[in-house]
Amino acid sequence: MQRDVGGLPLAPALRARLVAAGFQTAQELLETGPCGLSKEIGISKEEALEALQVVRQECHGDAARTAGGSGATRKCTALELLEEEQAQGFIITFCSALDNILGGGVQLTKITEICGAPGVGKTQLCMQLAVDVQIPECFGGVAGEAVFIDTEGSFMVDRVVDIATACVQHCQLIAEAHQEEDHLKALETFCLESILSHIYYFRCRDYIELLAQVYLLPDFLSEHSKVRLVVVDGIAFPFRHDFEDLSLRTRLLNGLAQQLIIIANDHKSAVVLTNQMTTRIGQSQSILVPALGWQHCTNHRVRRSQLYHITLHLMASEMCNLQLSLKMQKILK
Amino acid sequence: MAAKKLRRARLSQELCERLSRHQITTCQDFLCLSLLELMKVTGQSYYDVQKLLCKVSRACAPKMQTAYEMKLRKSVNPSSAFLSTTLHSLDKVLHGGVPCGSLTEITSPPGCGKTQFCIMVSVLATLPVSMGGLDGAVIYIDTESAFSAERLIEIAGNRFPTYFDSDEKLFCMTRSIHLYRELTCGSVLKRIMSLEEEIISKKVKLIIIDSVASVVRKEFDTKLQGNLAERSNFLAKGASVLKYLAEEFSIPV
Repeated sequence: MQRDVGGLPLAPALRARLVAAGFQTAQELLETGPCGLSKEIGISKEEALEALQVVRQECHGDAARTAGGSGATRKCTALELLEEEQAQGFIITFCSALDNILGGGVQLTKITEICGAPGVGKTQLCMQLAVDVQIPECFGGVAGEAVFIDTEGSFMVDRVVDIATACVQHCQLIAEAHQEEDHLKALETFCLESILSHIYYFRCRDYIELLAQVYLLPDFLSEHSKVRLVVVDGIAFPFRHDFEDLSLRTRLLNGLAQQLIIIANDHKSAVVLTNQMTTRIGQSQSILVPALGWQHCTNHRVRRSQLYHITLHLMASEMCNLQLSLKMQKILK
Repeated sequence: MAAKKLRRARLSQELCERLSRHQITTCQDFLCLSLLELMKVTGQSYYDVQKLLCKVSRACAPKMQTAYEMKLRKSVNPSSAFLSTTLHSLDKVLHGGVPCGSLTEITSPPGCGKTQFCIMVSVLATLPVSMGGLDGAVIYIDTESAFSAERLIEIAGNRFPTYFDSDEKLFCMTRSIHLYRELTCGSVLKRIMSLEEEIISKKVKLIIIDSVASVVRKEFDTKLQGNLAERSNFLAKGASVLKYLAEEFSIPV
């Protein structure tokens, strides 16, 4: 109620007029009423009413927040957070080594970034996750849908068909072994057609389409509330060429990351990004680092944004390489 | 899509005029600004600006399709999904042939026969669909001046003697292969950008670039500092335009 007029989300011209007229707090505005306001500043009654409605909305939002209701700035103990985090579901990757490293699989409400050299299997992993998120709960999955945003054009439907067929077979084997009611019921709906029709695919050709799509994602996710996974395959690609203004690029990327964090938290879904590797040429040696200087972003926000950085050094690490090829065999069978 | 004018994004006339005074005329300019900047420029409240942002995003965002729709579309036309190379072992490994609608890269040590392969594939593309071809024209961008028309006729005559029995058929085939000799990176890129209209007007069904590496290596010496960035810039730009052409027209590149 004591909120300063300068901090209200009104149009800048209107705000300037209010301040010039001498209004200091939101309380004063509400007390004046629309007719008084319109006379004092010289705006129409409708505009005054609109402004007051905005102010009232803001104040109610504030009041709810200070009363400890659900909102962005609620406080809770670390224990509550821990319990909440542990209760979150995981999206398994069907690669046990990877699941072990990730602590059970790709976690919901967190952003996971997968970087690797070209050809290492990042898109394949994303396609696998898009199928795995749909596994019914009785088989240990999260029974959700997937949004796949593709910037590189490397999404292959035929491969997804193969992966989905193998997944359904896998679940059928489990159902046969256990012979439980709900397993068989779940299997009726978990078939190839339903898996494919719940992968929502967007092909973004440049960074503007990517930005536009991410702005529209919250609305899309509220319409399709069962979505539990958002994959952005190739977040670096549209930003790497044709960008002269590097500071604009950094700003846009940070905005993108923040929006994805909000989406992950609000809609309880996992966000998976794939990134390319680039060579940082140092004085004595060159090292492979994730592109776009993303590393700096994640280090700053590891605490708040829960950004996991998994660098799949699949060429270097033997264990991972072995397990990943095992997974491929399993799917091909 | 990005260069779409705000007028066509269904924004009101006065808003468009106000924005153009700040040099914001396309969706790209609009989406690159932060929320506060947008508030200052449009003079509207926070919530209204968010609604505007959604409106503009809707004008640029790609259409949604489910994976199921994509699969159905592919299965409706299975024969058009690949261009068979008529080399059985190669076709088996590629699961049908050179895929339509995506970029295929052929690499090998020098002297293996890449250019010969390209010439053969151009002949195949001009054949009618009943013979496994695409019944269309070919755009051949040659950077090494290695294309030989005589060799083209030799291949056509030897592989398909029954089809190319008359000189007329051979001339018809050669007429539908459009050759462009480009010698620098800049001209290659310019040529790629201008291909869209040519594809529609000449009913092109195959694009071949022979070869990307030679022209890039000639111009960009990787030992110099700035060149690496410029080179990858050029390659990424070319690749994205070619991918767009391949996907849009469902042709192999």
